[in-house]
Amino acid sequence: MSHGARDEAAARLSRRRLRGAPGSRALVIVVLLLIAFFSAISGKPLDGLLMLLVAAALGWDARAAAEPAGTAQAGAAQAVANASQADRPALLRGSAWLLGGAVFAVLAGSFTRFSWPATATVVSVGAAAVLTGWRRPARRPPPGPLPRAGVVAWGAVLAAGGLWELWSLLQQSSLTATSYAHPTLSALTDPVLATAPGRALVLAGWLLLGGYLVRR
Amino acid sequence: MNSHDLTVLGYLVILLAAGLLAVAARWTRAPVPALGDVLDRIMRTRTGRVGVLVAWAWIGLHFFAR
Repeated sequence: MSHGARDEAAARLSRRRLRGAPGSRALVIVVLLLIAFFSAISGKPLDGLLMLLVAAALGWDARAAAEPAGTAQAGAAQAVANASQADRPALLRGSAWLLGGAVFAVLAGSFTRFSWPATATVVSVGAAAVLTGWRRPARRPPPGPLPRAGVVAWGAVLAAGGLWELWSLLQQSSLTATSYAHPTLSALTDPVLATAPGRALVLAGWLLLGGYLVRR
Repeated sequence: MNSHDLTVLGYLVILLAAGLLAVAARWTRAPVPALGDVLDRIMRTRTGRVGVLVAWAWIGLHFFAR
């Protein structure tokens, strides 16, 4: 095999690793389509549309023309650069992010739920995080092999949570009417989210979780 | 115990199970990875990263957006 062919094969492997195995990608797309469908029929068309867009983008990405060679290497170089930047004024940057997040949480929390201002702020932050994740390679080195039983246990707990929520949703008299007898998480959190401080606290937690995920 | 209590109990059991897994991962020698390690593994690829971030974004949309 010539050097050119070897380089091309290595680049293909890098791109495949970057995008993910076809099976896992198909699974994610199917889950996103299911979320889009259930969101749309339960009175959340915007949620559904956004999930649909991301599913379409992932599908398009799978079929897209080859990325420029060296993306993975560039990602590794970026990770190294990020690590070195972390030594600089990390405390200052962290404080600025925390302050900005707190201001966002209080501001967005002051808006009525499901209003256009609340929608705009949450959609903006969510879209920015997803775009960041799309464009940037993983920052942390992959962990070693994980024990299968433990991974299955985590998967089972997360799946159980999703199924329990879905079961509660389907027990409602309609998909858009909450039920006291079978409350969904949305119904259970309604009292907290009815107040501006409650919304600000929940939004702060949501932002912290998002920051944790974006940094991984 | 009525249906409401049973439903809430279900959520609490699932939350407790997640907490127990987290404790097992951090403080015991059980073969349970930390959730962060599982996320790192999932987020190695663009699809995984986008999938996890979309799930997070969906939570915000679901609770606050129209």
